[in-house]
This record gives sequence, C-alpha cells and structure tokens, in this order.
Amino acid sequence: MSEARVLEPPQAGDDLFTLVEMIEDLSSARTVDEVAAVVRSAARRITGADGVAFVLRDEGQCFYLDEDAIGPLWKGLRFPLTACISGWAMLNKQTAVIPDIYKDDRIPHDAYRPTFVKSLVMTPVRPKDPIAAIGAYWAQARQPTESEVRKLQVMARATAAALDSALMHASLTETLERRKFLLRELDHRCKNTLAAVQSIADQTLRRAQSPAHFVEAFNGRLGALSRAHELLTREEWSHASLIEVLSQAVAGFGGIDGERIRAAGPDIHLAPEVSVAMHMTLHELTVNAAKHGALSVEGGKVAVGWSVDMAAEKRTLDLTWTETGGPPPVTLPQRGFGSRLIEQGIARELGGQAKLTFAPEGLRFRLLAPLSTRLSLG
Amino acid sequence: MSPLRVILVEDEALVAMMMEDLLEELGCQIVASFGSLTPALEWLASQEAPRLDGAVLDVNLGGGENVFPLAAALRERGVPFVFATGYGVLPESGFAEATVLQKPVDLGMLWPVVETFRTAA
Repeated sequence: MSEARVLEPPQAGDDLFTLVEMIEDLSSARTVDEVAAVVRSAARRITGADGVAFVLRDEGQCFYLDEDAIGPLWKGLRFPLTACISGWAMLNKQTAVIPDIYKDDRIPHDAYRPTFVKSLVMTPVRPKDPIAAIGAYWAQARQPTESEVRKLQVMARATAAALDSALMHASLTETLERRKFLLRELDHRCKNTLAAVQSIADQTLRRAQSPAHFVEAFNGRLGALSRAHELLTREEWSHASLIEVLSQAVAGFGGIDGERIRAAGPDIHLAPEVSVAMHMTLHELTVNAAKHGALSVEGGKVAVGWSVDMAAEKRTLDLTWTETGGPPPVTLPQRGFGSRLIEQGIARELGGQAKLTFAPEGLRFRLLAPLSTRLSLG
Repeated sequence: MSPLRVILVEDEALVAMMMEDLLEELGCQIVASFGSLTPALEWLASQEAPRLDGAVLDVNLGGGENVFPLAAALRERGVPFVFATGYGVLPESGFAEATVLQKPVDLGMLWPVVETFRTAA
C-alpha cells in the first residue's frame, strides 16, 4: 500500500452499503456544510477515487467548499464558472468524463499542475438547474469506468435532494427568526410608543394655553407619531429613508412640491428610533413654519438640504432647514416641547449638534450628526 | 435639600424628554443626558471626579447597542443606577441584582428609585 493512500481500496459489495449509508446521512443533514461533510466522507470510498471535491455554485463562481484527497486540491478557492471544469459541468448540465486532463482544453492546466490529478469525472448536482458539482479525481491518466461515473451520478442525485432541503431549512429558520425578531420588536415598539405618547401628552399639557390648544397640538403630534410608524411598518421595521420621512412630515402642508417646499440630498437610512425622532422634529419645524414662519404667507419658502462630506475623517450628515420669504421669525418658547425636541431631541439621539437660528430673513435649523449604524448612507 | 445629580441614557428623544421632566420633578438635576453609549462613556471617562448620585439607563440603545458597558463603569465608580427597558426581561448581563423598570416609566415607579439614590448619597 502506498503511503499516500489513507483509505483501504474499497471492496466490491461494500459500495452499495456505503451508498445507502450516505443517503441516510444526507437525509438527516440540515445545512449545506453538513451535506458537504457527508459527500466528502462517502464519495471517495464509493468511487474509489484518489480524491473528491464538493463544489458549490456561488453567483458566477465555483466555490470549492470541501475535499478529501491524497494531496491538496482547491479547498476554499473560487474560480469563475467559465474557467473550471465544475463550472463547465454546471453550465452544460452534464457530466464531464476526462481520461487525460492535459489532453482536454476544458481544463485550466495551470491550476492542475501543482496537484496529483491526471484524470477525473465531474458531475453536476441537480442537473436541471445545477446548484453544485461533485468531482472525482485520479492520479493516473485512465478512462473512468462506466460504474464509477454512474455511482458519482447517483450520489449527485441524492445530494441534490439533501441540498434542496438544507436550503429550504435555512430559509425557514431565517423566516422563523425574523418573525421572532419582529414580535419582540413590536412589543418593544409598543411600550416605547406608549412612553412617547405619555411624554407628548405630558409636555403638551404643561405648555397648553387652553384645552383647545392642547387638543390641536396633541392631535397634531400624535398624528406625526402615527405616520412615523406607518413608514417603518412599510420597511418591516428595518429603517426609513430621510426623504420619505421629510415627505411624510410635510405632507399635510402641501408636500415637497419643489416650489414652496424643496428638498435635496443623498439617500440616507434612519434606524427606527431615529426615524421617529426625525419625523417628530420635522413635524415641529413644519407646524411652526405654517403658524409663524415661511409657510404662513404666500411666497414663503422652505428649503431642506443635506449632504455628507465623504472626504471628512468622521463622516457627518449636515442637514439644514432654511425658511425664506416669511415674516421675521418669532423665538420659540424656551423649554417648550417643540423647541426642546428640535434643539436637543434628534441631536442628542444621534450624538450630534443642532442649532436653531432666528435670522431676520427666516428661521434656520442645522443638524450635524456623525454617520453610524443608526444613520447611514443608503 | 440640594438636588441629586443624575445622568440619563435613553435612545428615544421623546421618552428621554419625559424622563428628564419626571426626574426633575422628583428633585433631581440632570447633569447629562445621552442617546447612545459612546458619548456617555466618553463623558464619564472625561470627568475627573464626577459627583454623581445616580443614573437611569435604557438597556437597548438601538443599532444593536446596549448600555451594559456604561453600567459596569458606573458600578466601578460606586454610582447607583437602575435600568429601564421595553423588552420585559433583561438579557444575560451580569447585573442580576440591579433594579429594572418596565417602560412606560411613570412618577410612581421613579419615586422609590430616586429615594434609594438619596439614601445612598
């Protein structure tokens, strides 16, 4: 027995037993890696080859996931589908049988020179729509027998079923995880929303001049909170984009029409809690503009612009709300709900800075906030 | 009676505003209020001898971040703190003995907390 051979040569009659065993093992495999492990350990014994490799189709590439051979092959490497024989087998949906690899120009010879391989069989897994391939390699140039080819194809069929079920299992697990996450998030959101409503009620009541004022301001704020949540639901609570948030916040006041209300800036993603705070801030600015500022008169304008300085060491969102053409702005009541939210809320939440300026030509709001997982370029 | 010096960490601006109000009503002075972990840790590290009487900490700070590193730093400095959470149970944290307030937090829940801050101070 040569030193390089790890396994005894297979005995006639053992094959069927090993094949059945492999199919049994495959049927209990739950992940792609488990499938690969079963194929790796059984394929070489069943075919009697000097090496086997399990190759996954990954986008436009062949990914050599696993191998068992007398010498190293290409485990962990990726090649374009068009530049290796496993790719050929998957693209052409047929088995490649190659008695002498150096006489076959489908083979990238340079990749094979460092290896022991002289002949091979490569068969696609799930021939109708190949998702993987199994290769068997020999150290001598020889014609693979019909029986060897058939065995490899049977294994490929069993592997296809196992891979399909592993992929389905993965997608089901992901769906379940996602559902658990959403339920948990919903519970959390519910409680935080109640806390937010409590906060809005409390603060609006403290500063309300009359019950009528309270009802008007409270309903407006509650509406804004509700619309902020609506946006988030649309994106399954992952994020909302800044332009959508702005668009919602000004919807009741003519919307972004490019004339009275203009908006420009790159796509920015906001995490759920940031998006609620941003929505509420823009709501307060809009209501203030409609009552006392640029949106309270004909010809008044609001421009909202934002940018991210990509060259800066710390990438920062720079957002400005600029009112023009309105009456000179009135100072917002100190410690009022609106001014507190505008000046502290969103900036504090993002670890940034916000500034309200009451210039004679109109109110101006500027927010500087570092990009983070909660505030990112879309 | 001098006001108790308290810090707040809460990622949701609206909730934070209310917590600040409630704490002030209970005789606390909000020394600092943070929406995320890093600025809070930086602030604490930059204080030579922060005289702090207590802290109210929201557990989940969004973006997968939690407040535990700050809680650990506060514990090291002997500053009493309580957690607030909308998630029901506290995840594995090493703070099994800490008080956990369930959101929404109200005056009645905060009052005994502030009393313990006062006793410790």
